[in-house]
Amino acid sequence: MLDSRILLKSLNDLEVRIMLCKSAFEWELLAKKYVDVESNIKNFFKKKKIPENFAIALDTLRASLVQKKGELPPVDLSDFFK
Amino acid sequence: MGLIKAVADAVMEKAKHEVKDYLIKFMEEEKEKEKKTEEIKKEEIPAAVLKESVKAEELKEEDDEDEEILPLIESEFTKFTYKVKPKDFTIPGELADIIKMLPVEEFACFVKLMIFVFEQKKNFGYIGNTLRRKIGLESFENEKFDKTVENLEKYGVLKVEQVSDNQKTFILYVPFDEETMVKAEYQKPEKTQQKKVEKKPVKKGDEEEKPVEKQNDQQDDIPGKAVFGMENDDLYKSYRTFVSLEIDKAKMRVGRSNFDKIYMEAVKYIDKKYGFKVLSDSEKFKEYLTNYYISAFDIPTFESWKKTKV
Repeated sequence: MLDSRILLKSLNDLEVRIMLCKSAFEWELLAKKYVDVESNIKNFFKKKKIPENFAIALDTLRASLVQKKGELPPVDLSDFFK
Repeated sequence: MGLIKAVADAVMEKAKHEVKDYLIKFMEEEKEKEKKTEEIKKEEIPAAVLKESVKAEELKEEDDEDEEILPLIESEFTKFTYKVKPKDFTIPGELADIIKMLPVEEFACFVKLMIFVFEQKKNFGYIGNTLRRKIGLESFENEKFDKTVENLEKYGVLKVEQVSDNQKTFILYVPFDEETMVKAEYQKPEKTQQKKVEKKPVKKGDEEEKPVEKQNDQQDDIPGKAVFGMENDDLYKSYRTFVSLEIDKAKMRVGRSNFDKIYMEAVKYIDKKYGFKVLSDSEKFKEYLTNYYISAFDIPTFESWKKTKV
């Protein structure tokens, strides 16, 4: 029970950090963190179904990450075409 | 008094002459010293030249030694992509037997490249500074990295292709496994695929599927994507430049705020279509973003653009 609370807290912390995120570099770190937390949650519940509150929190977090990525300055493609 | 003054004058006069003589002698000695040092230098220069020539010969010998590298295998290079990325990174036993014979630096470079190949799910890509950084070989200077890659090519575990004056691509030798891999061969699109389709990405409703279909049609046209058989085509390089310019033009045309909105839609679309991980994979994201822009800004596909050039 304690572990699942920690996981939920890390999701909440991540949400706050996403709101404060201001650079693409920071965003990438948060995205990695999100992927880690997501896999931790999946491992924690293993064969059981992920509880609804966790599933909702993960979805919300993913949506905020995508939203934030879109809000940050567009990726510069000039290097890509060199 | 007159006598004393005369004596004093005589002494002063003599002292002046002595000082003058001393200065002249001093100057002459200095000149001689300078001449001697110049002569010594002249003698030393040929010795240094000799040393340099010896060094050059040693380097030549080293180069000759490098040229003697023999391939470890007679490998056939196949470009492939992983069907599904295996859960764990593994080195096949057959390959391990080969690469354990590589020198330390080449071995490290090969394993790092292999991990990179595993991460990007394909065994080919561009060689350059970006690759050097991506595989974590920043500590290698450019020349050293190039040399290591060259050696890997000599050992027969890597193939380098010169795509253009400035660009090279590589194919890493990894034994082909039919279960997990699929050959990445370029197939010429059929004529029906070349038919112009509506290109504007649609944001809502049923029409959301349209850009998805188009995405598949255009996948071979993604600038920057290594496409088999097309890499050697200078025309493709020109196309990439063309796309870059068209995107810049479109950015100016639609204005900053509209462009930001389009970017936002692109991010959402890529997340929905290709999954969240693509967003944090810089190269893939750029590929798909370019593809989205091609669609959104009515930029001709490679095939249709080529027709206007031929």
